[in-house]
Amino acid sequence: MGLSGGEISILDALIISVIGMLIVFAVLVILMAVVMLMGLIADKSPALAAKMPKIRFKKKKQAEEGGEAAPAELAPGTCGELVLVKTEERDAAMIMAIVADTLGTPLNELRFKSIKRVDGEDAATDKAED
Amino acid sequence: MDWGETFEFLWKSTGFANITWGNAVMIVLACFFLFLGIKKKFEPLLLVGIAFGMLISNLPVDNITSTPLYHPEWWTVQEVNYREVLQHGGLVDILYIGVKTSVYPCLIFLGVGAMTDFEPLLANPKSLLLGAAAQFGIYVAFFLAVCFGFTGPEAASIGIVGGADGPTAIWLTKTLAPHLLAAIAIAAYSYMALIPVIQPPLMRLMTTKKERAIVMKPTRKVTKAEKILFPIVVIIATCLFLPSVAPLLGCLMLGNLLKETGVTARLSDTAQNALMNIVTIMLSVSVGATAHFSTFLTTQTLMIVALGLLAFVFATVGGLGIGKLMCWLSKGKINPLIGSAGVSAVPMAARVSNTIGLKYKPGNYLLMHAMGPNVAGVIGSAVAAGFLMAVFS
Repeated sequence: MGLSGGEISILDALIISVIGMLIVFAVLVILMAVVMLMGLIADKSPALAAKMPKIRFKKKKQAEEGGEAAPAELAPGTCGELVLVKTEERDAAMIMAIVADTLGTPLNELRFKSIKRVDGEDAATDKAED
Repeated sequence: MDWGETFEFLWKSTGFANITWGNAVMIVLACFFLFLGIKKKFEPLLLVGIAFGMLISNLPVDNITSTPLYHPEWWTVQEVNYREVLQHGGLVDILYIGVKTSVYPCLIFLGVGAMTDFEPLLANPKSLLLGAAAQFGIYVAFFLAVCFGFTGPEAASIGIVGGADGPTAIWLTKTLAPHLLAAIAIAAYSYMALIPVIQPPLMRLMTTKKERAIVMKPTRKVTKAEKILFPIVVIIATCLFLPSVAPLLGCLMLGNLLKETGVTARLSDTAQNALMNIVTIMLSVSVGATAHFSTFLTTQTLMIVALGLLAFVFATVGGLGIGKLMCWLSKGKINPLIGSAGVSAVPMAARVSNTIGLKYKPGNYLLMHAMGPNVAGVIGSAVAAGFLMAVFS
């Protein structure tokens, strides 16, 4: 518009006000849509992560069928994989340490099968077997 | 040695011999604002500096043995002569360069961004609608200011008081109406401090007891990735529409990114503490010093104060109006009180929503729900200022 000259009529002021309000709404509605999309993706991602073990299994099977190199053997003393559902590795390590400390059992004598975060709560549940 | 002449010269160099009624009024006014800041705790971090700046720039000088700290006439021209400012300027003239070049408001926004948690907004994106609605006050005050005879750029600067955001008001006014800067900054910060007085009657007037007692569901948990992506997405999306808002919103989002990345903790700490405090001192003193009696003691100042109040009132009404609409559309799941938090004054406006909510239903904590519209208001007022800047600069 370029109204740097200064004097504007009341009608101009009214038009600027209406356009200004519409622009503020338009920009923030677009932001709202983008934030909603981000939230949707973030909500879907744990579900995708939960499917990861299956995908890993399929890959392993495919590798065996295809004659590709087999994955490296587990380290001595390891008793299998731990499945993490909606849980960060850091949190899992902390939970395992807490469980070992509470039970008074060394960590290498415990076997954790899975650690799953329960929706709506900050705490994670874990299953432990001796 | 002529002792009589010497004493006469000494007397003429004192403030007593040079004081005018304008100086006296401004000194009293500055002391009143100091009282409000120190005793009544009205935005003390800024008001104390503003009032002190006002005090020192209005102390009488003889222009022979001492020169003014601030020269208002140097700054109200189209092209500022920075050579003269650097060679002959007073302390406040030098500090004022940071206001004139927008450095201070932008750095303040950097600190604000580093201190702001956008999680409530990300958890409930509909808050952005409330933040947009609360900018209604800006445009109502702008329209009324034009009706009262202000020019377009002056009216735009007055209207932005309704955004309840000091740095944004300073950022816009220093370009569009530098002669009104002190009055607008003082009005903006004073009304921000008065939000707990201005908003509650309007909240009671516009909502029913049943609406005020609505308990809102807890919001969802926001992931770290969302928090990191948000400032990047906002700056891209907003600046594609309104490039003029890039300095202000860019700094706000950079500050927030420094906070959220988790790998720049030192920078975030500096932005929200040391840098913020240093810039606050320089900004408040230099803005206060612009309140020179030659430009401040006018009827325009009184009109700005009155229009600023109307801007705040209509901003609150706009937020509450959309809050009521959202309450009705959601079949009573949204408490309309959070709408008034759309005026950006963070976190004062959100606290007021929370206090009123608690008053009508003990245990009904609305603070986190109100923080969403509150931070959305910061973005909304920056967008509104960017629009006015694009139109009038």
